[in-house]
Amino acid sequence: MLTYVLSKLMRAAVTMLITVSLVFTFIRFSGDPAAALAPPDAPQEVIDQYAEQMGLDKPFWVQYSGYIGGLMVGEFGYSVHTGRAVEELFLERLPYTLQLGGCAFLIALLFGIPLGSLAAVNRASKLDRLVMGFSVFAFAMPNFLFGLIIILTSALWFQIYLGGEGANVLFPALTLGLASMGGFARFTRSSLLEIINAPFMRAAEARGIPFMRRLIRHAAPNAAIPLVTLVGLSIGGLIAGSVVTEQVFAWPGVGQLLIRSVATRDLAMVQFLVLAVAFTMVLANLLVDTLYLLIDPRIRVR
Amino acid sequence: MRFHKLFKPLAIALVAIGTGGNALAQDGRPDLTIAVDNLWPTMDPVIGISTTGQRVHFNVFDTLVRRNRWEDPNGNSLVPWLAESWTRKSEFVWEFKLREGVKFHDGHVMDAEDVAFSLSAERLWGEKPIARRGTRYARGITRVEATGPLTLEVETSFPDPNMPYRMVTPIGFVLPKHYYEEVGTDAFGQMPMGTGAYKITEFDPSVGLKAVAFDDWWGGDVPAKSLHFQIVPEFSTRFAGLMSGEFDVVVNVPSDQVAQLKTKSGVKVMEKGIENYPMFAFNMLETELLPDNPLTDVNLRKAMVHAVDRVSITKAIWGDATFVPTPFNFPEYGEFYDADRERKIKYDPDMAAAMLKKSDYSGEELIWHITRGFYPNYEIAAELMVEQWADAGINVKIELKDNFSLAYQRPFHLLNMSMSSEFSGDPYRPLWMDWGPLSSRVRAKHSTWKMTPDFEKLGEAFELAQDFDSRKQAYLDLVAEWEDVTPGMYLWRNVVSYVVDEELDWDPGNSAVTVFDNLYMK
Repeated sequence: MLTYVLSKLMRAAVTMLITVSLVFTFIRFSGDPAAALAPPDAPQEVIDQYAEQMGLDKPFWVQYSGYIGGLMVGEFGYSVHTGRAVEELFLERLPYTLQLGGCAFLIALLFGIPLGSLAAVNRASKLDRLVMGFSVFAFAMPNFLFGLIIILTSALWFQIYLGGEGANVLFPALTLGLASMGGFARFTRSSLLEIINAPFMRAAEARGIPFMRRLIRHAAPNAAIPLVTLVGLSIGGLIAGSVVTEQVFAWPGVGQLLIRSVATRDLAMVQFLVLAVAFTMVLANLLVDTLYLLIDPRIRVR
Repeated sequence: MRFHKLFKPLAIALVAIGTGGNALAQDGRPDLTIAVDNLWPTMDPVIGISTTGQRVHFNVFDTLVRRNRWEDPNGNSLVPWLAESWTRKSEFVWEFKLREGVKFHDGHVMDAEDVAFSLSAERLWGEKPIARRGTRYARGITRVEATGPLTLEVETSFPDPNMPYRMVTPIGFVLPKHYYEEVGTDAFGQMPMGTGAYKITEFDPSVGLKAVAFDDWWGGDVPAKSLHFQIVPEFSTRFAGLMSGEFDVVVNVPSDQVAQLKTKSGVKVMEKGIENYPMFAFNMLETELLPDNPLTDVNLRKAMVHAVDRVSITKAIWGDATFVPTPFNFPEYGEFYDADRERKIKYDPDMAAAMLKKSDYSGEELIWHITRGFYPNYEIAAELMVEQWADAGINVKIELKDNFSLAYQRPFHLLNMSMSSEFSGDPYRPLWMDWGPLSSRVRAKHSTWKMTPDFEKLGEAFELAQDFDSRKQAYLDLVAEWEDVTPGMYLWRNVVSYVVDEELDWDPGNSAVTVFDNLYMK
């Protein structure tokens, strides 16, 4: 088991190192950041001064080693516009994204799994078709379109504005969670159907175990294994996934910070945010791998 | 609608409603909410030079001199503002006399030291200035000195007849020296202070900016009790906020939405031509990556301009909101503007064919670098122009780039750009500063031309001319040479659109800058 945990940790560290290197390299090769920071048609001297301020006048390897060295001691850089530490700006916005992503995740989980279970135990019924129809709609509906529809509808019909910092989180969360809800429902259904028809379930039924007990104690843990992967991916995509929804609802979270930083060429900020997104993804994968240990005894034995 | 009536109470119960946008404050003045697509991350008025910064700056800071757009939308006259008067003491030295009793938002009284600091070498024109975005306005300044409590001298390395006009630009904003030095550059940008009609109370570049009326403002009554610039990146969301009464003003209306919005009741749409002109530059240089550049031939360049029906394209895209300019002949140039002067090279397919025949062009592909989405409607116009060029036998390929630094990477034959006409007393900025020896067109890594000897000679004459008549003649000669060489082509005057609550009596003039003082708002 120790080998299993260590190998997963090592994989996570390597993934992060590769991500750091790719982000650092690609940002520098997608156009001169100093020229992009200066106003269009700025004199060359101004562009050169920006390059010097950002350390872009140094050779690539000097910049890279300096950046990695900084990361090792927790120095992530400063926003070129505000002069503030990038992690400080990130932490200011994080609660908004966690609130939005957390609520969206809960909505997806609390509605998606029961709906999928309901469809599975009522297989081939009208209810099953209704739930699956809704799941396909939820999964296929682009979240920006759904968000715009509810924002414009509420404004034009009810004169109520749903966006902004002080708005209720329910509507952006519903927008963000809709696709995951559909995904969870479909996955839960197919996973449960596979288990419900397994020989050990028929044996349990033959032993006279009541339906709900069979479902919760016998079927659910087995059906949970593939579902945990999907849930993990959803958690990992919490920050990255909220970009569009935050933009549509003017929700002042990390997603908006990322878009603005890209637009204003705030190099250190963009690098940090991409790393943060990668880190949440890696962390979620680690959590999923650890959860497998708890759910599936076979892995513990390996 | 029954559905509406049934669900409205439920919807209200579900939604936490923020403060109303155009709620009247207790003293009778409105609290205004302005929905903006973005705000620049720092509010230092020079470091943050940008449309997204300037929509706030003019409400918080005052310049030494101001343009009068409230009576003339093109702002052709200057108004003494923090400077009560100015005189040219010698060929190289201007003296400004400052207004007495002007207070900063903390009650500190403004004096010449504050102005000298705002215009100092450290901030603007030294070797490595703090606010380097302002260097282009501070060109040639060699001395700024407070010569009395309310008098100031500015000296330049060359005779500058238009120094007062520079003081309407962002370098003319007066900053409080004591506060700036106390908090430092970065902190100042996050919580700046000026002498303007509104005092900032909150600024979060991710959320927005709040300011309250500064009732000690020297300029008189402040018409709104407070301003709230709220960042709402998506236009549909801004529009929803306006229709639900949350916002009073919405900026940056996409041009394809304007016609539909004009039919909505309760709001008014304002389309304003601003002092910026999208165009493209012909790359006239032969470089390592472009050794046989056909655009070195002036006949091909002229053929390309003759082949494009800009008037019809502009009309089809913008309706009556804008026009195709005669090069460097802009309505905002006061006495330099001549409404009767026409472009030399007009749409003329026969002339295009004749010019093409005279050139050595043999169908080579010409690459046009365009920065994606930067200039509204530019790509649409470009596609139409490429078709017209194809009809004339000229093969142009559009390459969209995600940002300017990618667009600047060679090889390219045509490069998108725009010229700001920025009022500086005459057409100095777009004509000589943007095409002359110090311009990026000549000096930058993405330079597109080498000045002709005649252009250089005429430009030097223009720079040295001091009185209006000789300066205007020099300007006309220089424009004639530019048109003769044809190093670029203008498309149209840029347009910005606002949607505003119809009860709000506010008009920004021909500007992308939103000002809510007692001159622009009743």
